[in-house]
Formats: sequence, C-alpha cells, structure tokens
Amino acid sequence: MGLSVSDRGKAVATFRYVHVELMETLAQWTPTSPEMEVKLMLGEHIWDAAQNADALGKRTRELRLPLQHSLKPVDAYVHLLEELRQERDTSRRLSGFYDALLPGLDARYHAYLEQTDALLDGPTVRILEQVRNTSARMVQQSRALRAELPALGNVDRGWIETMKQRDSRIPTLVS
Amino acid sequence: MDASDPSLFGHGPNRDGRFAVKERWIECANFPVGHPAQVVEFLHRQMNEEVDSLESSARNLSDFPGEDWEVRLHLARQCADEARHARMFRRLFEKRGGTVGQYPVLNFQYRIITQFDSLAARLAIQNRSFEAGGLDAITVGIEQARQDGDFELADLYEAQIADEISHVRFANEWIRKLVEKNPANLLRIAQAMKTASQAFEAVMGREGIEGVNYPADKQGRLEAGFTREEVEITANLMSRP
Repeated sequence: MGLSVSDRGKAVATFRYVHVELMETLAQWTPTSPEMEVKLMLGEHIWDAAQNADALGKRTRELRLPLQHSLKPVDAYVHLLEELRQERDTSRRLSGFYDALLPGLDARYHAYLEQTDALLDGPTVRILEQVRNTSARMVQQSRALRAELPALGNVDRGWIETMKQRDSRIPTLVS
Repeated sequence: MDASDPSLFGHGPNRDGRFAVKERWIECANFPVGHPAQVVEFLHRQMNEEVDSLESSARNLSDFPGEDWEVRLHLARQCADEARHARMFRRLFEKRGGTVGQYPVLNFQYRIITQFDSLAARLAIQNRSFEAGGLDAITVGIEQARQDGDFELADLYEAQIADEISHVRFANEWIRKLVEKNPANLLRIAQAMKTASQAFEAVMGREGIEGVNYPADKQGRLEAGFTREEVEITANLMSRP
C-alpha cells in the first residue's frame, strides 16, 4: 500500500524540520569557523537550505497541514543533528555535514520517491528532486573546497564512519 | 571611548591566521586617494566588511529561531548575497595584485550589531543604518569609478547596490511589523542606535570621520523603503557641513 496524504504530510513536515536545522547549523558555524573560504561557502548554503525548507513548507499546506509546518524527527536523529551542530572543529563540521548528513538525507529522499506515487504526489516528487539536485551541488562544492584547502579534509575516518552508521541505523525520520 | 569597551562591543567573529584584526580605524592601512595601494587596500577592506555582514546575518538566523519564517528567509538570502559580495571584492583585488590578509581589517560592525538581543535592533543598526549609509557611499563610488574609467569597479558597485537595496528594504518592512507587534521594540531600537553611535565613534575616531561626507542616495533610499519624509530628513542632515 502506498502513502496516504497524511503520511506524505508528516514526511514533508519532517523533512522541513531537518532543513531548518541544517540552515541554523550552518548559520551558527559561519562566524565561528575561522577559515574565510568556509564562511563564504556556508553563506551560500544557508540560502540553499532555507529555500529547501521553504519549498517543503509550502507543500505542507497542500497536504492539509499548516503552512511552513515542521514536525520533529525521531529522537535518535534529533540527537545526531544536535551533536553535529555542537561540533567545533571545521574539518569535522564539513565532513559530518557533507559526507554523512547530506548523503544520508539523499538516501532517505530516494527511498521516499521509490515509495510514493509519482502522479498522486507529483508536487512532492518535484520538490524532492530539486532538493536532491541542490544537495548534490552543495556536496560537490564542499569537495572542491577541501581539494583547494587540503587541511580541511583531515578527519579521523573512524569518526565519520561512526556518524554514517548512526544515521543509517535510524530506519525512518518520521516520528 | 574605548574600542574594546564591553558595554559597546560584543566578541568578534573568528578569523584565520592570514588576517590581522584591529579595533580602531587609525590602526588600519589608510592610504590617501591617489596612493598606488589605496584601491587594492579599499577592496580588501570591503571584502572583510562583507564577511562581517554575512556573519551578522548568520547570527541573526541562529540567535532568533522563533522569528517569523518570512523574515528568516530574507536573512538567509542576505547571507548568500553578502558571501557573493565578499567573493566579488576578492576577485577584483586579487586581479589587481592583492592577497588575502595583506592589510589589517576591522570587525566592528559584527561586534556592534551582535551585542543587541532583539532582531528589530539588529536590523535597525545593520541594515537600516550601516547598509543604508552604504547606499550613499556606493552611489558616489559608481560615479567616481566611471569618471576614472574603472568600469570593472563600477559594474561591481552596481551589482552590489542592487542587492543592498533589497536588504535595506526588507529591514524597513520588518522593523515596521516588529514594532507593530511589540511597541517596546521602538525603545530597543532607540537605545541600540545610541549605543551603536558611540561604538562607531570609538572605532573611527575623529580621524576616520573628519571630512567624510556623502550626499544621500535619494532614489536608492526610496527604493529601499524609506518614506519620502525620511529621505528628505536624511538628505538635509547629510548636506550640512
């Protein structure tokens, strides 16, 4: 059985919560990350995350929820987001965000797109495809920055693998 | 007045080791007009000020999570615009032989703005005061750059001022809404303006302010949402010696 309108609404509102969190995380990191090139990349990506949240928030209204409605994800994912947000090291910030969090979200959007009906849920499909394209560009830009400034890529591989595993062990974000 | 007075300034943003961060204008490399390094130093300084604006807008997002989504969307857009402005200035001064960190920089705008605990006050200082004043300076800059035949710089300024008008405009709209929602914001704004003015004087000193006077960019200010009356008052004040 496919997703009901209520299921879709909850999922979209949950994704919106996440993108607002991503926006606020990047905003919090911008003045405290010393490297200028990192600040400038984060500044652009703040707007990307905000636009994603906005598009999802307009969709929640269409799915019979309030406009710009957010639903908190499951506790395990909220803790993961909060932990990363408190990270102080620039390299870990970048790796956690662009190597773990965004690819993990992309996998979840892919799973949603596989599950939903592309005709009944057409507008959500369109939004998530745009979100995925934007995220792919953000990841690419972060890789280009770390190639330009290799010191930013010095991260304990064990730490990042742990982050990825914690993410992948959370079966669904929807509470 | 002291440029490190904690009653006037908050903590500065982090900068990497390339930058020499100063607290007062007099400590910067202030070359006279016509000096071979003046334009490159100016562009380098502007780059850092755009980074300051980015950082201030980012703080407004993270410090006020409960604010209306529409104003947060404007703040997020401002972050991207200011980042782009920093890149624009960097591209130009590097093309003209400069390097990042070549000259001392000031982070006074961030240090002044972020000490206030209301979004209305921060918008009044950052967007409605600093950036609005920037409209006047940039308009003069465009004219001067064209007269000098520096069309590359004129193009940069024109792109910049179009964005800055948007930033001032949304601030004008939202300050009115925030004051309507909570009239106490008017008092917060007034107090913030007084503190910011003292802080600005502490940073700039007499040397940084003397002889600096631009006419008001009336058209830009109207597009930015100031009323005709506000524009005329500003123009009259700025026309006084």
